[in-house]
Amino acid sequence: MNIFERIQKLDRRWIYIVVALAIILPLAIPFNSDDVTSPPTENLYQFIDAMAGRQDRAVLMSFYHDASTMPELFPMEVAIIRHCFERNIKVFMLTWFPQGAPIIDYAINTVKEEYPNIKSGVDYCNFGYIPAALALPTILGMGDNIATAVKTDAEGRKVENLEIIKGVTNYSEMNLVVEFSGSSAGGTWLFYARPKFGLNIAVGVTAVMAADEYPYLQSGQMIGMLAGLKGAAEYEKLVDVFAAYREPGDPTEAPRMENGNRKALGRSFSSDILREESIKELINITTQTTASFSPTEYQEFIAKYPDKTAIFDNLKLEKDGKIEIDVTKISDAEAEELGHTAHADLKRMTHNIIYKFKVARIGMNAQSVAHIMIIVFIILGNIGYFIQKARQAKQQ
Amino acid sequence: MKKTIPLIIVIVGGIIFLLWVFVPHKIMADDFYYEFFTPWARAMAPFAALLGVMSLSMMHTAKIKRRAPKWQYSYFFFAGFIITTLAGFIGGTQKGGIFMWMFENMAMPMSATMFSLLAFYMASAAYKAFRARSVEATVLLLAAIIVMLAQVPMGVKISKHLPTISQWILDVPNLASKRGIMLGVGLGSVATTLKIMLGIERSYLGGGE
Repeated sequence: MNIFERIQKLDRRWIYIVVALAIILPLAIPFNSDDVTSPPTENLYQFIDAMAGRQDRAVLMSFYHDASTMPELFPMEVAIIRHCFERNIKVFMLTWFPQGAPIIDYAINTVKEEYPNIKSGVDYCNFGYIPAALALPTILGMGDNIATAVKTDAEGRKVENLEIIKGVTNYSEMNLVVEFSGSSAGGTWLFYARPKFGLNIAVGVTAVMAADEYPYLQSGQMIGMLAGLKGAAEYEKLVDVFAAYREPGDPTEAPRMENGNRKALGRSFSSDILREESIKELINITTQTTASFSPTEYQEFIAKYPDKTAIFDNLKLEKDGKIEIDVTKISDAEAEELGHTAHADLKRMTHNIIYKFKVARIGMNAQSVAHIMIIVFIILGNIGYFIQKARQAKQQ
Repeated sequence: MKKTIPLIIVIVGGIIFLLWVFVPHKIMADDFYYEFFTPWARAMAPFAALLGVMSLSMMHTAKIKRRAPKWQYSYFFFAGFIITTLAGFIGGTQKGGIFMWMFENMAMPMSATMFSLLAFYMASAAYKAFRARSVEATVLLLAAIIVMLAQVPMGVKISKHLPTISQWILDVPNLASKRGIMLGVGLGSVATTLKIMLGIERSYLGGGE
């Protein structure tokens, strides 16, 4: 048996070993990479972001999947919830799947741990599990009145009495639904809610389902789409670059304005900012421990904590005209003296992204290696096939 | 009679829902749908769930009694069903309880593992079967390689034009074929629905007609 025949008859277990290594190694050793954002993701991000701080706007997230598709869909859900929490956007959740109910809880808890001021019934509301048999009455009913169509939330509270429902009556206010599924389930919203109420629809789907959604995207029936882990990674990046971005002098909590709306912290989407070199330090997925300021930025930052100036001055180091503070050098006593808010604010300035908010990007590194490896396999297989074919032709 | 009554139910139900979609009158939109249909649907949903549990339990009980092939696995169904139900009823379904612990540490990893096996089969299939045997297969192969490369950060480093080319493949050739398939499926669905509603297609009632 010559080498080409061997290549053709390679035992599949060797392929499995190479695939396993190609996936495990990049997951175990993260490296920085940049996921170029695609228009369907950017459109969805911008649509949600336009609701920032508004009391009369809300997003509905529909978790129509079970645990099997979580590796692809869960990072998207976490990224969108984080976006909403960062920018004070009201968010509702529901599921038509019994297995979806714990996924909603898990997603909320995953994000909420980092946002202690976010409250259930005020900033978000979980409608919980609604049997699929009631999907149609619920979808159509919410077009008239949300609190009538869904009477209680997952915690058994009357929806009409919740703070979050003030200013949100039907799809005129809750005018975007994002359906997460490993199928074309988003179609239900498209067929019933969009023609009748003009509801805006977006989907988060597994990569294998993405191609099926393009007809709806092109026709404008869907305003955006997150396609597989790549979509999740792109959304994570946008949240880091815009929604979670803070100038050193920004307040830690958004003040409420006279009309009830809240000032949205972070910054609005801009294609120009995405092209800037400076965003690279905002999207590093390797561990970042140093907060770096220009002298002016440092003054703006410490002005927020006038009684902690001495501690910050004690921690700072001057390097190449920049002021740096290494957060790993802060002792427990100093951390206690700084207090939770100032310490958390300083840590935010390091632009270190905690693991749960960069899962998709770490996964994309693994996918990078796996894709390239599969392409190499395809090319090798074809080379072997054609050489073998040429030899056989010669022999005949 | 056994077939006539279900047939009448299907035809009448079909016509009512057809009218509901196309006639925006109060009688159809409010009186029928919200006052009549929605409360009935709400009342029926728990019975449907109960029916599912009963059917599944009966099927597994019968399997154990008959010692059918792989009957031992039926015990796992009962164990899983009873333990999960008790955990949910006793400890609640919120974080910190046994239910959520089981979901996070058992259901999630097991389901994800099953789904991730797809990657191994895809890699193996790509190597063994993805051959440029014809012009069509070569076009498919090239499109696949471009889209796969454009999906990942490493691919974009090879050429910054890859995402644009990939987006074109998805937006134009992919879209044209998808739309063609969807139109075909849509027309087929309409034809089948009409056949069912007019009583021409009766195979769903069982029997050989």
